[in-house]
Amino acid sequence: MTHSLQNPVLWALLVVLLGAIAVIVLQRRAAASTRQEFDGLRAHYAALESDFSQSVEAAHVRADEETKTVLKSAMRTLQGLAAEQQLVVSRLQSKYGDSVILEDLLEIDHTNSQFGRRAQSIAVLCDGWLGRQREVASIYDVVRSAQGRVRHFRRVEILSQVDFGITSRAVEPVALALAELLDNATSYSSPDTVVEINIRTVPKGICIVVDDAGIGMNDEERARAEKLLTSDRVSGVSALGNPPQFGFAVVGVLCERFGFEVSVDSSSPYGGVRAVLLLPHELLTGMPELKPAAPAPAAAATGPADPARNGFETSSAVPATGPDGLPKRRRKRPMAVVPSAPATGAPQGPGGRQDFAPQGYPTQGYAEQAHPEQGYPAQAYAAPAYPGQGYAAQGHAAQGYDTQGLGAPGSGAQTRSGARSGAETAAIMGAFQRGTQSGRATNPNAAETTSSTPAAGSEGHEVP
Amino acid sequence: MTTPDEQPSEAPPLVRPYVITKGRGLPDDEQLSLITLVTAADDEQRRPTRRLTPEEQGLLELCAAGYLTVAELAGHTRLPLGVVRILLSGLTEGGFVIVRPPVERASLVDARILEEVLNGLQAKFG
Repeated sequence: MTHSLQNPVLWALLVVLLGAIAVIVLQRRAAASTRQEFDGLRAHYAALESDFSQSVEAAHVRADEETKTVLKSAMRTLQGLAAEQQLVVSRLQSKYGDSVILEDLLEIDHTNSQFGRRAQSIAVLCDGWLGRQREVASIYDVVRSAQGRVRHFRRVEILSQVDFGITSRAVEPVALALAELLDNATSYSSPDTVVEINIRTVPKGICIVVDDAGIGMNDEERARAEKLLTSDRVSGVSALGNPPQFGFAVVGVLCERFGFEVSVDSSSPYGGVRAVLLLPHELLTGMPELKPAAPAPAAAATGPADPARNGFETSSAVPATGPDGLPKRRRKRPMAVVPSAPATGAPQGPGGRQDFAPQGYPTQGYAEQAHPEQGYPAQAYAAPAYPGQGYAAQGHAAQGYDTQGLGAPGSGAQTRSGARSGAETAAIMGAFQRGTQSGRATNPNAAETTSSTPAAGSEGHEVP
Repeated sequence: MTTPDEQPSEAPPLVRPYVITKGRGLPDDEQLSLITLVTAADDEQRRPTRRLTPEEQGLLELCAAGYLTVAELAGHTRLPLGVVRILLSGLTEGGFVIVRPPVERASLVDARILEEVLNGLQAKFG
């Protein structure tokens, strides 16, 4: 044993063993720290990776937002310009309504509407401005408005009507969504086919059904459309593809924002696509009252805005007049209604055109009625026709003017100024014409129509 | 001419005129002049092929009670004159309205003839 203790080999072995143990311990320690380091690095890497993807995402979102903001304001300018141009064109249309330019003006109007719609669609995708708020409109009018915004509007036929209106908030979005559907329908069907629109009342509201006779959609397209319309709504313009397909994306966004539904999952009986736009009850209202498109200067000046002022809307509802202040006539219905003063106290209520009957100037009778317009046709027409009585007519007109100033203060002295609305001019011309007709009295019917101006006939001959 | 409170209410109409006319062209100038008289036809003369638009209905109601001129109809409906003419020509084709062209102006009689008549009368009756 002792010599074995002195055996250097043993010692050497011991030293080696100790060394080995030390090495192992060191190695283990090193391995542990390496592992730790490795874990730390991995965590760091993961953090970096998520940071990176987050910032990429953020950059995307920011870029998207920036694009949207830029597009939004750009489109807003374009929309404003389109609306302005539409007004100008409308004015031109009424100004040159009797000339051949009108056809070209209507063409320009049509192009402008399409241009406005494109700008609107992009604005909608960028959460932008939809255009100015409209008044309550009948569904039929909204559908026609949509019809006017697509290129091939002549191919669109509206087959049915319902007596419902759309709330003012939803008028523009529904019109725009429907215009996009019609655009799809007319673009993807052959040019000689008709796109039919049916409006139906259903328990959940009202359906506007658009049927085209095109080639329809394949399963892939149908799936994309369904996705855009129901769940996966697009925001921004980056995912629209090239060339961009706006239609369903725009409709989907509008559906979400305004609470109506669109589906395209059925086929039309003509083989194409059937798109159904369902308007829930919240967006529906009664039929709007018809209003004059633009109040005439005289009408605006004679008092508070009275919707029942022009003949177009009252002719069916109010056969003769009275409480609503329209001039009374001896005919079955008011055939031509001059916008009248609010206070028509006259029991016989003669219309403006009666004033140029020669005996139609009882001084006090005239003074009784506070009728601003009555003075002025008298002044305008009696004078040339009856040179001798011109002075009297002027005098009456002036009187009517004064009385009216007393009786109905502030009710439109301007009506007597030179400006005349189209309706007034028309009424005057009609009075003229009837006078002539009655004078000639070729036809008993014609004579009857002029019964309200019994004596005007005698002057009719003299006024060629 | 325009009052200040009229300005803000100015909005382009929702339904554009070319949709109202359905894109049809203007009728001939002679067909419907400014003072052509128009009245609604009797029911049996009508050949309804489709439903009338609200504008056409409005025109019919306006002229239902008697003759009105084209200019008057345009004034009351506040539509451009050409649009009314297009609508009326469509209504005429469908037999909804009767159109009466304006009576032509009587041509003036030759002054010489009048003079001769006067002379003759004077010669006869002193």
